[in-house]
Amino acid sequence: MTAYLIGIGTAGLAALVGAALPARHRLPGAAALSAAACLAVLVGAVHVLASGHTSGLHTAQVLPLTGVDLSLDPLGALFIATTAGVGLAASWYSVGYGAHATPSRTATAMLPAFLATLLLVPAAASVATFMVAWELMALTSLLALLTDHRRRPETRDAAQWYAAMTHIGAAAILLGLVLLADHAGGQTFATIASHRGRLSVPLSSTVFVLTLFGFASKAGAVPLHVWLPRAHPEAPSPVSALMSGAMVNLGVYGILRVGGDLLGGGQSWWWVVIAALGVVSAFFGAVHAAASTDTKRLLAYSTVDNMGLVLIGIGAAGALAAGGERMLAGLVLLAALFHLVNHALFKGLLFFGAGAVQHATGTRDLDRLGGLARRMPATTALFGIGALSIGALPGLNGFASEWLLLEGLLHGFASRSAVTDATLLAGVAALAITGGLTATAFVKALGVGFLGQPRSERARGAREVGPSMLAGMGLLAGGCVVLGVVPGVALPALDRAAAAGFAGGAPTTLRVGLGLDLASLHGAIEPALLVEGLLAGIVVAWGVIRLAPRRAELRRPRRAEAWGCGRELQTARMEITATSFAEPLQRVFADVLRPDRDLEVTHTVESAYVTQAVSYYQRVDDAVERVAYRPVIGAVSWWGRLARRVPNGSVHRYLAFGFAALVLILVVLA
Amino acid sequence: MISGSALDGVELAAGVVLAGAILALWRKDLRSLTSVLALQGIALAALAAILAATGGDVGLGVVAGVVLVTKGLVIPGLLARVVRADPGSRETAPLVNVPASLVAAAGLVILSYLVAGQLTALMPDPLTRLAPLGLATVLVGFFVLVTRRKAVSQIVGLLLVDNGVALLAFLLTAGVPLLVELGTSLDVLLVVVVLQVLATTMRARFGHVDLDQLRELHD
Repeated sequence: MTAYLIGIGTAGLAALVGAALPARHRLPGAAALSAAACLAVLVGAVHVLASGHTSGLHTAQVLPLTGVDLSLDPLGALFIATTAGVGLAASWYSVGYGAHATPSRTATAMLPAFLATLLLVPAAASVATFMVAWELMALTSLLALLTDHRRRPETRDAAQWYAAMTHIGAAAILLGLVLLADHAGGQTFATIASHRGRLSVPLSSTVFVLTLFGFASKAGAVPLHVWLPRAHPEAPSPVSALMSGAMVNLGVYGILRVGGDLLGGGQSWWWVVIAALGVVSAFFGAVHAAASTDTKRLLAYSTVDNMGLVLIGIGAAGALAAGGERMLAGLVLLAALFHLVNHALFKGLLFFGAGAVQHATGTRDLDRLGGLARRMPATTALFGIGALSIGALPGLNGFASEWLLLEGLLHGFASRSAVTDATLLAGVAALAITGGLTATAFVKALGVGFLGQPRSERARGAREVGPSMLAGMGLLAGGCVVLGVVPGVALPALDRAAAAGFAGGAPTTLRVGLGLDLASLHGAIEPALLVEGLLAGIVVAWGVIRLAPRRAELRRPRRAEAWGCGRELQTARMEITATSFAEPLQRVFADVLRPDRDLEVTHTVESAYVTQAVSYYQRVDDAVERVAYRPVIGAVSWWGRLARRVPNGSVHRYLAFGFAALVLILVVLA
Repeated sequence: MISGSALDGVELAAGVVLAGAILALWRKDLRSLTSVLALQGIALAALAAILAATGGDVGLGVVAGVVLVTKGLVIPGLLARVVRADPGSRETAPLVNVPASLVAAAGLVILSYLVAGQLTALMPDPLTRLAPLGLATVLVGFFVLVTRRKAVSQIVGLLLVDNGVALLAFLLTAGVPLLVELGTSLDVLLVVVVLQVLATTMRARFGHVDLDQLRELHD
């Protein structure tokens, strides 16, 4: 707890330093302090995860009336440790990212401030503390998102969407938690948890639905995801990484804390709803990620997809626990939390990579990139590790958690409830289809973005980014590899967190080791052996190629362009683009994506048979946004326009409003 | 406790204030409006003087003097200068015509009696029973503000509201502290001065002082 508090204090100090120091020292000072803060918090959180002890703190000083309650339990500590890890990398990365143009005071101050609030939320142990931390997080992230608004007007649009979504969500959470605190006789989480069984079913269901609305919008669940593909691309990359790697996690944290811990599991339909949200989000996010041509937009949709997978796990765990299958529930929840941690690592890494590319080339459009592998080899390698992780290839962390999740879901079919079985089945199907779609999306991102020949002058002139950015990416890539090769090291901590996620806890089924060994389910996998086998295979293949006797003409190498199929004179215009790569998928999923296409053929004046120019236009908008949000926004602005007609500039009309109000009040009084 | 001829005097003065407000609604000639304001100011001053004399309150006596100077002489005088600069100006087309305005005023007076009944019930005494007159003056002044077009009529409406508030203050609290009365009087004086400057500028720039024609200035 002490280390944690020191860390939070240091992060606050970093924000002050970022705001106060002169321009030259601002960024390094703030980054060094926030890195130190993350390390301190990481030490505190890992201690809690390793020991399983919960420690709390109450002070009446900071907030009037209620005071501040903080508590570090294994569930909160897991989220805090994840955030601190991504935050540490983001602090290193931000030094290089901001170095080309001195960032403003707000930009430097808001990154550590945002980080501090992210670290604060999972430790909040009362309704008041939680809401204050939650709203501070919304506010600081909004300001951090807005830092580029002078150069890019789209940022303002994104910020408006984000602000609206996050505030509607926060209002729903506030309503739910206040209702809960009112009926549970106190506002600290400990008091509420002790009243767990005594709430009526309609009341606890109302609280759950209200808070789910808010938390799901933070977690980016479809149909409340619309802010993600706008805000994540427009934010500066360290901020995008924190938003996608840490902030969306807190939506999941909120669902677990309120639904699992404070309300104690409750009804099984709650969890089926969550799993259904997860299935829809996973599918929708994966399809959009496969169709996107903007790197960061692709990553944002992939966040929707991965959060969907986590929600499937949580929903399945809750449904299994409500059906009495506590052992399996514990396993599935553990897998979901593992995937969440892994997602934070590889998504942070990928956002850093996209930021590095944007930093070097000035564009996020995959159709204008290419050929970066030769120009930015380190960035390409690190982005590649992230892409392979998210594509769940064995030996990297995405594989470990998806394997666990799939094992858990498949073994859950033994449950006695048909609804639970259907939920699990849908989850397995979603996992399968998103696996394929994610692979497509990242083959596209890596293949089109980094390999081949540059498609624009900017990509041609790209240079490798500086050591601080590479260090930030390297840290997260290291995490991906370690958790991928020896996933067993993280399991005890995850098991404690999962046990804290549901009231009463779930017995562990894992044999502790380096790999994953499900003792009771007869399932085990040792990724380290897989990796060793893979490496051995590579060495053998290399050796065979080098040493085997070959015919003379084959021994003399013939040089040609990479990926040119042996053709000479390969040009960038002959390469496949991101748009064309995604085209077949777009046709298959035309009903979901509803692409907006336009083909315009211009003929010469002399003859209608001779084509002068062909222009092809395509744009994939979010169908959910178009169907569900546009009409609401239209109605609101219609109401706004109507209201604008009321004040027409006539002094008499304004006076008449006042007079009418006065007379009306007097009439009511009389 | 006030009684006898002093009470008669107070009742008369309060009646004159309300009658002045209704007169302002009736008259279209802007010059007569300034006389109405002067009359109201003198009546208010007389009321304050009577209250000061019966209560032996020196501060209230000074307030009466201030009221007489500001509301009775200076403000109407300034307004008269504005009107004189634009001879023949009349409130030709009020938004609500005069007969309808008078009917509305009758309604407002009834409303203020209904509302002020609750105030009077708190402390039934001869002075608080006159409170409806003050409230009615406020409402009629507001009505003038809403329905009259000329800038001068607007300021007259504002002054009527102010006079109504002053009357209420004298009746309900047995006189306002000297400092407060000085503050409000000077405020109102300032408003009138600003209006005078504004009206002169408006006439110079637009050739009229009709507020409704300023509508194009809005955003």
